[in-house]
Amino acid sequence: MSHSPQPDRVKYAFILPAFLLVLTITLFPLIYALVVSFQTIRIVPPIPPRFVGFDNYTEILGSARFWGSIQVTAVIVFISVALQYVLGFALALTLHHNVPGASLYRVSFLLPMFLAPVSVALIARMLFHPVLGPVNEFFTLFGLENLPFLTSPSFAIATLITVEVWQWTPFVVLLMLAGLQGLPSEVFEAARVDNISTWRRFRDLTFPMLLPLSVAVVFIRLIEGFKIIDTVFVLTGGGPGTSTETLTLFAYNEGFKKFNIGMTSALSFLFLIVVILFGTLYLAAAQRMIRRYQ
Amino acid sequence: MLDSTDTPHIVFDRITKSFGATEVVPPLDLTINKGEFIVLVGPSGCGKTTTLRMLAGLESVTTGAVHIAGRDLTHARPGERDCAMVFQNYALYPHMSVRENIGYAMKVHGTPKEEIDARVGEAAALLGLEPYLDRKPRNLSGGQRQRVAIGRALVRHPQVFLFDEPLSNLDAKLRVEMRTEIKLLQKRLGTTAVYVTHDQVEAMTMADRVVVMRAGVIEQVDAPIRLYEEPANRFVANFIGSPAMNFFEVATRDGAAWLDGQRLPLSPETFARIGARDRVTLGIRPEHMDGGDAPAPLTLRCDTLEPLGAHTLVLGHVGEEKVVAQVEPRFPAEPGQECTVQIDMSKAHFFDIDSEARL
Repeated sequence: MSHSPQPDRVKYAFILPAFLLVLTITLFPLIYALVVSFQTIRIVPPIPPRFVGFDNYTEILGSARFWGSIQVTAVIVFISVALQYVLGFALALTLHHNVPGASLYRVSFLLPMFLAPVSVALIARMLFHPVLGPVNEFFTLFGLENLPFLTSPSFAIATLITVEVWQWTPFVVLLMLAGLQGLPSEVFEAARVDNISTWRRFRDLTFPMLLPLSVAVVFIRLIEGFKIIDTVFVLTGGGPGTSTETLTLFAYNEGFKKFNIGMTSALSFLFLIVVILFGTLYLAAAQRMIRRYQ
Repeated sequence: MLDSTDTPHIVFDRITKSFGATEVVPPLDLTINKGEFIVLVGPSGCGKTTTLRMLAGLESVTTGAVHIAGRDLTHARPGERDCAMVFQNYALYPHMSVRENIGYAMKVHGTPKEEIDARVGEAAALLGLEPYLDRKPRNLSGGQRQRVAIGRALVRHPQVFLFDEPLSNLDAKLRVEMRTEIKLLQKRLGTTAVYVTHDQVEAMTMADRVVVMRAGVIEQVDAPIRLYEEPANRFVANFIGSPAMNFFEVATRDGAAWLDGQRLPLSPETFARIGARDRVTLGIRPEHMDGGDAPAPLTLRCDTLEPLGAHTLVLGHVGEEKVVAQVEPRFPAEPGQECTVQIDMSKAHFFDIDSEARL
């Protein structure tokens, strides 16, 4: 009996539906957007699409606003994710060691994550109001009145980072706590019997054993963080000027204020490239670190 | 071989352990001598592991005190007790090589590198781990992992070794090999060892003294052979020995025990000790049912035979009670037929029917 592949073509007919489904659902919009990014399309006023080659891309790459938005996004993402990870891991460790009332903390720490970013931003806007907000009142106690939380570029970025950290640290807590609870307890008991201090147990056991999880958590937060738009939109609208404009907000402004769809598509693809670039660099670095331990 | 001296090394002074309202270990007293190999044995949930963990400091002691080498360490941290522990599932550091696993504690405590290397090398040679020193635990077999765990314990030169069912994840053949290795190692080092197992064969083969526990209570503490020959009660008699001891409810009168209408004569001393009773438990091990010093015939109905080569097991009934007899391979018995075995009455045990204590 021969086991060579069947020569008939029927097998392709069975694969075809799934293939078409994938094509229409995921690949078609992507390809469509790519095609659009090489055209000039305006919806308002409607003019027929015109093929312009790489004009959209060169225009974007030549604009200072684009590079500014990359910088703003990168600053917000890297600082806030670093803070989220450190704070989140610390809180997870605390909760893991069953402080009194841990279950209450566990629920309340997770709440910010369940709120819509828009409402978080709205609340933050009240909190950080330079005259009426409670944050202002707090700083007034130290003689720092009416700080320009949302109106000075560096203050605005710091405020955005604060809000991001507040909202997304719970995500890190949740995953790191799950990771901590999945670690084998005997390993730590063995270390305790061997008189290894708490700090060394963390440094030499907990941290390396959770490193793969940490890499994944930070990666998810980085990718998610790059997409930040709602918080910025509500809190600062990208201002003052374009000093807090992130990549996605920039794309939104192009698409829905100027209705320049071709330009927006090109911007989206550049955004994709930026994320892939940062993501790849990050994963390469993380891989190296994990390999050191495993 | 280092002889165990009679100086007390570990003393449990009426320790108890409660989880909430549930008392898992009622007041427990035990003294372990220096250099001794003590095995805590008992069925699941008898409190043996809890007792060991209280000694290690991994479990708090509810009341009472634990002394090691004369120091009260009841509330000391695990690290202050100078014990080394081997866990059931090895508890190796998964991201460290064998070398790092064994040397880790010494490295943290600032031992010079040359000494760490020397001691790791010594332990690896002793345990046959030299070819694997640079492997990670996940690339080792179960037996190798357990040897790494033992190596990690012994390089520290601790005062006390603690073993928590270290062999139960290994296959039968490896278990037999490892138990010999552990015992020889402990004798060579002369370190006091406390070993927990639910396997009575492990307990018998390894221990200087065996502690049989049930529901947190120590039933008997004795040398293995005394445990076998003079079990303190029916529980110990049943737990020690394989196949397990046969128990019959008999009456004693006229210098004999009466089982299902059959007369089993007793020596005058034995009868004098037990006296005439309407109901008493007679215990006889299967291996003592094929003749001996004081043979007494017992007729039983044979249900099935289990030939094991060196000897054969006859599984049958006497009246309503089940019986297992270990006889010579050519013993004339047929399933479904009656057969007669010779009980060695000098090896019979008697237990009170209510208190189950040895008579």
